[in-house]
Amino acid sequence: MHRIDAVQALAKLVTDQDLFVCAHGGLRNDWWNNRPGGADNTCFLTGMDTVSATAFGLALALPHRRVISLDTDGSQLMSASLLGTLGNELPPNLTIIVFDNGAYESIGGLKTHTHGRTDLARMAEAAGCPHAVTVRDADTFARTAERLLNDNEYGYLVAKIAAKAAHQWPKDKQKTTDGVEEKYRFLRHVERLEGVRIHHVVEIGG
Amino acid sequence: MTPSVAASAGFASPDYAELLVDGLKEAEVSIVASLPESLLKKAYPLLQSDKDIRYIGVSSELDLPGIVAGAYFGGKRAVMIMENSGVRQACEPLARLIFGHRIPMVMIMPHRGDLGEDVWWGHGHSETMVPVLDALKIRYWRVSRLGEIKPAIRKAMLHADAGQVAVALIFEGECREQVDAQD
Repeated sequence: MHRIDAVQALAKLVTDQDLFVCAHGGLRNDWWNNRPGGADNTCFLTGMDTVSATAFGLALALPHRRVISLDTDGSQLMSASLLGTLGNELPPNLTIIVFDNGAYESIGGLKTHTHGRTDLARMAEAAGCPHAVTVRDADTFARTAERLLNDNEYGYLVAKIAAKAAHQWPKDKQKTTDGVEEKYRFLRHVERLEGVRIHHVVEIGG
Repeated sequence: MTPSVAASAGFASPDYAELLVDGLKEAEVSIVASLPESLLKKAYPLLQSDKDIRYIGVSSELDLPGIVAGAYFGGKRAVMIMENSGVRQACEPLARLIFGHRIPMVMIMPHRGDLGEDVWWGHGHSETMVPVLDALKIRYWRVSRLGEIKPAIRKAMLHADAGQVAVALIFEGECREQVDAQD
């Protein structure tokens, strides 16, 4: 299974009512080009160790809305301390999907620990996650993701994907926003979706 | 009148822990993410049991900035509370969220290593605290009087959102456990 296969399968299972937090790296442009509706529904983060923690905070704040963390093996290995917190808090509206290629792709494919003996789904399960699953093909990914997204329980899905991406996105298909623009776009999207004001801008003179 | 006599007489003043929790609630903070430590130790049980606050205990300060950032995106006011050494542990996620995205956040930490510190390892906490905050361009304010706690929290939340910046409140003096109480 290539990453794009899983991304495209996921895009068919979610709606423009869901919110996403997405990791850096090759996953970014795959999701940028496949996210539902092309909306600003995704918080693209630069930090490897902040993706699922941010998704958890978002899920806490909006318990009525599905929040999906699109994370990577490198990021999860860097922030493994979060697994225990999630395993005890059990946020029912949070699903973490780890695109696990067993490699640091952007630096040429040097292996991560998941290429060897480390099993992220078993780590999540041992930390308290009731639904931690590893899948290795696109059909199983789609079936499992659909179940985890709709069971109203905290879920953790590891998609084992090829170490090297199937393709590179041409320049005009690559994400065009930086981190600050993405923040405002995502923030204003949540405001519209929820009908609330999050960031208040004050000017002198009313 | 000593504090214990005042308490038994029924007119004790609120201590730092009660003022901290009340200050958070008055500032409409509904999520507190924290790795507890000893200098604000009376506050943590109050936060855990408060019905208006969702207290999230973590096992590493690394996870605090992301949780607070996510809560902000969801329209909830959140703060992180940690030992002042925690800012060292949380450096990378703080730097990513502050410099990469300018996401506002408020952190509260007691000043371990302040004048009179009797714990030897606490001195390093103090020596590194301000240099690390400065390196991360996190503006900080010291809160040392009980009467300053509530306004400081309210202003910190306002300041962080208006400027889209991170703000640190350093609780010291009357606003933390008294390590030199025997003097």
